[in-house]
Amino acid sequence: MPSGKHKSRSMRRVYEKKPGNAVSISYRKRKPSKAKCIKCGAVLKGVASERPYKMQNMAKTKKRPSRPYGGVLCSKCMREVMKEKAGE
Amino acid sequence: MFQLGRLCVKIAGRDAGLKCVVIDVIDDSYVMIDGQTRRRKCNVKHLEPTDKVLSVKKGVSHDDVVKELKKEGIEVREKQKRSKKAKTAQAAKQEKPEPKETAKKETAKEKETSKPKSEKKTVKKAAPKTKSTTKKSTETKTKVKSAKK
Repeated sequence: MPSGKHKSRSMRRVYEKKPGNAVSISYRKRKPSKAKCIKCGAVLKGVASERPYKMQNMAKTKKRPSRPYGGVLCSKCMREVMKEKAGE
Repeated sequence: MFQLGRLCVKIAGRDAGLKCVVIDVIDDSYVMIDGQTRRRKCNVKHLEPTDKVLSVKKGVSHDDVVKELKKEGIEVREKQKRSKKAKTAQAAKQEKPEPKETAKKETAKEKETSKPKSEKKTVKKAAPKTKSTTKKSTETKTKVKSAKK
């Protein structure tokens, strides 16, 4: 029987296999929500969404695409913005 | 549209927003570009043409492209090449921090001198643990404190 604080689903459950075919449930904190494009709202690819302690040890190149507006705009919207800028 | 010498803006990838010139036409969909971007093959879909055409011949060198762009008021930031002078300058910089090493040595000496003190402390701490039973340990602690005073 889970203890009181673990009855709500605010923490995610991970089933872990233990020696002797025993299965135990461990409770972990959930990942933060995925980054979205400011312009169109699409989920951004290549942008890591991890807990801060994992983001700390991650390389900068693994956290967002290395292009202008990387991690802010999706590639389609970025191209539109660049076209507008080129026309000026 | 994408003929030789057409001034373009790259709109995709890590060079997006940088200006470049078409220096060779490979086929309908691919051209060679050079300028603020790297000198490379590029899909036409990744370029936004402007209304300017520079006087550039086929197979121009990078320096000539830079000169042509300068006439249009576009400056190209070059990567700093490591010349011999720069290397010597770096070596000089590396030589400078030597005094720090000497300082480290000094600190190490100090540590060596300070080590015996720490050993004494550890001995003092370790002693009550060996004696430790629940009630007696408190008594020994008080004894040690009194001894310190």
